[in-house]
Amino acid sequence: MSRFILQFCAVALFVFAGVTVCYAQPVDLQKCTICHGKPGHKRIDDSGHVQSLFVDEKILKGSVHAVRACTDCHADVTEIPHRVLPKKVNCTRCHYLGNPVGAPQDVDYQAYLKSVHGRAAANGKKDAPWCQDCHGNHNIKAHTNPGSNIFRDSIPKTCGRCHVDIYAQYRESVHGEALIAKGNQDVPVCTSCHGEHNILAPTDPGSTVYPSHVAEACSHCHAAETIMGKYGIESEQVATYDESFHGIAGKFGSATVANCASCHGVHDIRRPNDPKSSVYIDNIPKTCGRCHEGANINYAKGKIHVDAKKKEAGIVYYVAFAFKWLTILTMIGLIAHIMLDLNKKAKNSRQRKTGQPDA
Amino acid sequence: MARLEKQIEENLLTRIEAELDGEVSEDTRVLIREKLRVKVRQEMGEQIDRITDEIAAGVLQPERERLAEEKPPVVKEEEFLRLGINIRIQHMFLFTSVLTLIVTGLPLRFAELGWSETVIRLLGGIENSRLIHRIGASGLMGVAAYHFLYTLFSRQGRRDFFLLLPRPKDALDVFTMIKHFLGISEERPKFGRFSYIEKFDYWAVYWGCVIMIGSGLLLWFQDFSLRFLPKFGLDITKEAHRDEALLATLAIIIWHFYNVHLNPDKFPGSLTWLTGKISKHEIMEEHALEYEEIMDARAKNGGPRNEDACQVKTPPDCETVSGRCD
Repeated sequence: MSRFILQFCAVALFVFAGVTVCYAQPVDLQKCTICHGKPGHKRIDDSGHVQSLFVDEKILKGSVHAVRACTDCHADVTEIPHRVLPKKVNCTRCHYLGNPVGAPQDVDYQAYLKSVHGRAAANGKKDAPWCQDCHGNHNIKAHTNPGSNIFRDSIPKTCGRCHVDIYAQYRESVHGEALIAKGNQDVPVCTSCHGEHNILAPTDPGSTVYPSHVAEACSHCHAAETIMGKYGIESEQVATYDESFHGIAGKFGSATVANCASCHGVHDIRRPNDPKSSVYIDNIPKTCGRCHEGANINYAKGKIHVDAKKKEAGIVYYVAFAFKWLTILTMIGLIAHIMLDLNKKAKNSRQRKTGQPDA
Repeated sequence: MARLEKQIEENLLTRIEAELDGEVSEDTRVLIREKLRVKVRQEMGEQIDRITDEIAAGVLQPERERLAEEKPPVVKEEEFLRLGINIRIQHMFLFTSVLTLIVTGLPLRFAELGWSETVIRLLGGIENSRLIHRIGASGLMGVAAYHFLYTLFSRQGRRDFFLLLPRPKDALDVFTMIKHFLGISEERPKFGRFSYIEKFDYWAVYWGCVIMIGSGLLLWFQDFSLRFLPKFGLDITKEAHRDEALLATLAIIIWHFYNVHLNPDKFPGSLTWLTGKISKHEIMEEHALEYEEIMDARAKNGGPRNEDACQVKTPPDCETVSGRCD
């Protein structure tokens, strides 16, 4: 019996502790900052890697968690000095759906669990990102706050902490350059194409950047006249792609056919007049040659995104025009002949029935 | 009947006079004669009908059968061989290939429409439909090449090709036909072996084959084509291929299907493509000049002009009865 009471008390205490943590009032951080407030405070882990354990109180005070105490998140810290190494903070302690303290949570955020990152984390991959790896830890701020890790302009850098090579390509691309150098808000950042919490591997058919979805991903901006008009870029590129052999084969499920990224690049997209661009005129044989054996400079002679319905298509336009009228006029002639024939036949059959020529 | 009446009358009078032991008056004689006549006519009439029916019933059926056996068979309307087996097989290869090409090609022409995806899926995906399209293309190229040689080296092929060449008369025929349609004149143009309608069909296919096979090959072997052609050259090729494809499909579905299937005179379809035969009625109606020629040739060869009397004897090595077989 006494054992049962003990168990009950332990559970009650646990629940009470959990609730109080979330409702805790700002407390003095003094106790923790005795050590963690010293800039040189660090530890050397088993692999010899130096980890700074310094926490800048000012940063914490400027975050959305300014009112939280250290142990609200580091709930497993119960004694000083720590006898057990404190674990990674689990945000869902407070940020669960329907939590009473109003910690933001959403079904969309929970897509993380099915994302490439979430699944890697669940499979125990050490370097898979948790919430704090992107959102920040002590410096966590709303995404609208320019100081936030997930403020639009900062996203590439945040992702680049792990995806270093990709960040290096992106920052030199037409998109990255405009964002980093000019603070352009129209250019895509990582999440514009890949998604946020729901990021999937590009090889996953559900991914927004799966080969057959690439054109759609690009079309969000490149088919929008309002955005493209500002930069003098044609907004029919996606439509002309859809009408091309590549677009049609892709639509009908060809897995090998070229999408936007196959020619223009992915993170390293550059202006067509940039000699480093994969679609720069001199580079076209090489780019096309990745699929078309023996591609030469002929591949660059003529408009690539050609729309036969427009005069800019040149001779292709006139060929289409000629065929259009040839077809229309031929059909008018043939159908007229058929109608006249039917009319005459109907007249003859009426005559046979009545035995009288029609009036 | 009258003699029978006379006899009964005499018997009756003898009997009555023997009974009365005196002569019957003239009025009574007339009365008796009158009654007798009516009675005999009535009774005998019924008997005659019955006897007639009975005997006729017994004789009619066997006699009918005898007559049926003796009657000569009904003379079928003469048929003319219009299309030989060679050209019929060419036509079968042609339409099989073309229908295959249309089914696998149109979904690409109208890729933006919903049914296209369904058709491609039913064909087993884009890779499959491409393969089928190329099989169809090979069939079309095969029959086109064969036909080209046929028009060069076969006597029938050369003759038909010559007759298919457009002539001023064709333009005139179109004009006369339209006048006929509009009721301006009753005269309907008389056609030779090929009317302008058939000539149009033939040359439409000829033009279509040149465009479609030419552009199709360049697109099929595009990596090779682009060694010599600029990219815009292939764009033209592609445009021509997709536009001519639509024109050809419409011409087949509207024009050719009307002329050989949906035309009220032909519905649900002429069987000439299969049997090669055309009836006397049809040849007189649609190829009057050719019919005349055949008849003239027969007359020259000493045959009867009236073909009803003779079944056409087609020499086995002769493809048509255009009258000039040798």
